Amino acid sequence: MIGAVYCPTSLEALWPLLADGAHVLAGGTDLLVAKRGPASCAVALLEGIGELAGISEGDGLIRLGAMASHATLARHPLVRQHLAVLALALETLGSPPIRAMGTLGGNIATASPAGDTLPALLALNARLELASAKGRRVVPLADFLLGPGRTALAAGEIIAAVVVAPPAPAALQHFEKIGRRDALAIAVASLAAVIATDAAGTVTEARLAVGSLAPTARRLPAAEAALTGQRLNRESLTRAAAAIREAVSPMTDVRASAAYRRQAAGNLLLRLTPQP
Amino acid sequence: MTGPDAVFPRADALAKAVGAERYSADVTPPGCLWAGVRRAGVAHALITGLDVAAARATPGVVAVLTRRDVPGTNRQGIVHKDQPVLCGERVRHRGDPVALVLAESREALALALSRIDAAFSPLPGVFEPAAALDRDAPYVHPEHPDGNLLAYGLVEKGDAPTALADCAVTVSGEYHTPMQDHVFLELPNGTARLTPAGVLDMVVSTQAPFRDRFEIAHALGLNPWTIRVRAPYLGGGFGGKDGATVQCLLALAALNAGGRWVKMVWDREETFLAGYKRHAAVMRVTLGADADGTLRALTGSLLFDAGPYAHLSGEIMALALEHAGGPYRIPHTRLEGSCAYTNNPVGGAFRGFGVLQSSFAIERLMDALATRLGRDPAGLRLQNALGRGEPNAIGVTPEPGAGAAECLTAVLAHPAWTERAAWKRQAPPFTRRGVGVTCMQNAMGYGRGLPDAAAAKLELTKQGTFRIYNSVPDMGQGNASAFVTMAAQALHQSPEAFALIQPDTRHCLPAGSSSASRTTFTFGNALLGACRAMEAKLRARAALALLCDDPARLILSPGLVTDPATGAAVPLARLGALLPRDDRLCVDQFVMAVVENPPDTGRQFKLGFPHRFYSHGACLCAVEVDELTGRVRLGRCVVSVACGRVLSLEGVTQQVQGAAAQGIGLALFEDPALENGCMGAGDLSRYLIPTALDLPDIDCLIVADDEPTGPLGLRGMGEVGIHGPGPAIAQALFDAAGLHVTRLPVTPEDLLSALGGPE
Repeated sequence: MIGAVYCPTSLEALWPLLADGAHVLAGGTDLLVAKRGPASCAVALLEGIGELAGISEGDGLIRLGAMASHATLARHPLVRQHLAVLALALETLGSPPIRAMGTLGGNIATASPAGDTLPALLALNARLELASAKGRRVVPLADFLLGPGRTALAAGEIIAAVVVAPPAPAALQHFEKIGRRDALAIAVASLAAVIATDAAGTVTEARLAVGSLAPTARRLPAAEAALTGQRLNRESLTRAAAAIREAVSPMTDVRASAAYRRQAAGNLLLRLTPQP
Repeated sequence: MTGPDAVFPRADALAKAVGAERYSADVTPPGCLWAGVRRAGVAHALITGLDVAAARATPGVVAVLTRRDVPGTNRQGIVHKDQPVLCGERVRHRGDPVALVLAESREALALALSRIDAAFSPLPGVFEPAAALDRDAPYVHPEHPDGNLLAYGLVEKGDAPTALADCAVTVSGEYHTPMQDHVFLELPNGTARLTPAGVLDMVVSTQAPFRDRFEIAHALGLNPWTIRVRAPYLGGGFGGKDGATVQCLLALAALNAGGRWVKMVWDREETFLAGYKRHAAVMRVTLGADADGTLRALTGSLLFDAGPYAHLSGEIMALALEHAGGPYRIPHTRLEGSCAYTNNPVGGAFRGFGVLQSSFAIERLMDALATRLGRDPAGLRLQNALGRGEPNAIGVTPEPGAGAAECLTAVLAHPAWTERAAWKRQAPPFTRRGVGVTCMQNAMGYGRGLPDAAAAKLELTKQGTFRIYNSVPDMGQGNASAFVTMAAQALHQSPEAFALIQPDTRHCLPAGSSSASRTTFTFGNALLGACRAMEAKLRARAALALLCDDPARLILSPGLVTDPATGAAVPLARLGALLPRDDRLCVDQFVMAVVENPPDTGRQFKLGFPHRFYSHGACLCAVEVDELTGRVRLGRCVVSVACGRVLSLEGVTQQVQGAAAQGIGLALFEDPALENGCMGAGDLSRYLIPTALDLPDIDCLIVADDEPTGPLGLRGMGEVGIHGPGPAIAQALFDAAGLHVTRLPVTPEDLLSALGGPE
């Protein structure tokens, strides 16, 4: 149950609230569900802190404010033009109301193994700008995700922004999520890919990441290596798919068995097979 | 303007669209108390201790009630009274209630419920219906004379075992259909108070307000005539609000609230835990035919998981047996059914009421037979479709009407069928497409042994408009709106001249429940009778004002009664102002006809067997299977329906689409993940129903039909559409991927295995 609600309009006003034990409430789509019990919980809203919501470009980097909503991001020109893999992931996230309320920072901080933006951000080599009363630090997303619901966020610290270097314009950006339905579905498995090729079609860099297949969303170095230096064809993709199945550690739950997830995880990469 | 092309805006559309309609859930009197229940959380156990002291001491708590506080029998149930209002000694499923709390606020209620200390001594549970019938299984009701066998029935026609032995070809299968939750939008809820006059006044989201009084009175030792139940529009019911949900608990709370209003609302998780469910069923069946595909014999057994309480399990199983032969001509049948008590959630009424289960089995058998004979499944069905005047699988000859053949023919003429080959060829990469077509049927009404009755009251107001006193709740299916349309046509008035009074046992006349595809038929007939009486009355009273000695020549038109001989007219407003109230009322009643010479079979079924009226349909599903993930997408769905004459095309289409969507959910999405009596999918993040994105447009084809005894020629059709998608999707998946579906829901994993994977 939500008790006291604070709405600070600056980071300076936020820090003492966090020090007093208030929970950070960004979009609330996770927190309001988690806090339905009888225990009272004070929250500090981030929505009044303008600097957290901006989306901007500079120094060759794109900076996505942690409070930008999924819907805002999914339709933002910078995201659509340069970060297609993220736009695709955002379009599968929740439903229109959840995309309108939920935020990128919230999806990251929740650190669900099934968080829809996480494989896409990993494939983009995203870094997080963390802020606290002590100042700011930058952490790669891959180092931030420690386990289901566990992150490197320190007490009194928030995610301020996500910083991404846009892939080369010609790079292939791909995202696919397997859900048990087409909206409001928690991922059974997901795959994000950012693959750069040279003029001859040889893969110069492959970045692959999966969701719902391990305790955290994660990159797949062996599968990436299996593609690098190869052309994207049935043979190379089949080898990389085998490496994905080798690398993942899925679990069985109400949505799918571990065996299905492992099989499907590799299959997702085969979607990139060139068609005659 | 009449007939299916007429557009009648639903009488409830505007108020619901703007949020003005007041559902039961919207009734929260100022200062009302809140009631809630502590549930067992264990599937089968003895209650060894129940310490409510801390709950009672919680600030804001008004009362904490246990079994000892329940007057009366403490047993609820529609027919068979075996379900405790509050459990005192034993709990039989995880949702069983053990204590009831009344508090000043929802917060105090939640806190007090969490402070109830219940101690249980676990008993061995029984979770598989087949195992429940073993001699050494633990008993759910040790006092029940037949152990865990709640109900048994046999229907027979001809000599099936002998006929089967002579068949050129036989096919057999074991088919499973799952438990299903109704997932109505409006959760079970109600508000109640004991008035100073001693009346228990209740507003409840219920499908059966008149019967609720007796169920509550029996359970709590009250006089049913001191109970008033009002049933506003429901936000969905689908059978899940037929039978007590909150009623007895809420009434008990109101008896202990010192005359204050009490409100009870189950949350979604509580509804998954404690609400009624469609029975999971296992059906072992064998179908025999001649080499040319002519059906000869059907045998088999059906086993239903009743959960721990009877509800209408036996009656539901009876309907399953009655429909087990499908809409097909089968000379010899022998089918047994059993319902087993288990410690799973409570089985109860659900749109399709047993028919869904056995329809899946017979349609799957028809497909198996088609495969065996190398026949086209649609052609085999057409060959064997039951014609007018032919006896069905239990030997009843239903009222004549358009049947499966006409319905199937309509679907086979749709482009989704005629152009299927091209559609399949155009499948995108990694996609396999398939199309399936199956038949469906659903009886209307309660059937023999239980009068399917309704009484209607119609009032001319002082202002010259009309008031319809509806007696059968509208849970969203549109019957109330149909009543306005019917009365407006009958009395030659504009629909705006009619106001609806929703069911209220104080002001409306008694009627059966909103169920069994019966509401529009039975209440509609009663209402039309009241309209005829009103028309005669208006002519006779207008004749006085118009000095007309031949009332029969007077003409009713919107707001007026006119004498064509003189051109003189009297406004209805004037008649309304002149007549005393007693003279402004007209009432009539109707009881649905039953099978006159029932066959001597199904002797175990005293209530609701057999049925005389059937609606039919056919369903086409076109599926796309993704080879990489096994995901199934429904590309197209076409449903034809024969349900007498169509009063409202929009109304029929909405019912067909809603029913098909619920059938699609059962076939592809809704997996309760039941394990040891616990639903693994006990909330809406895990129990998945299809969203708008998961459903194709559903085309509805109307088959020309007429039911001469129906109001304006119609028959009920609220259920029939749910039966198509399961078997049609199964057939389509065989077409697409070679998967032999024997069990619903179908999962992506089933398909990935069937396809062998690309590796």
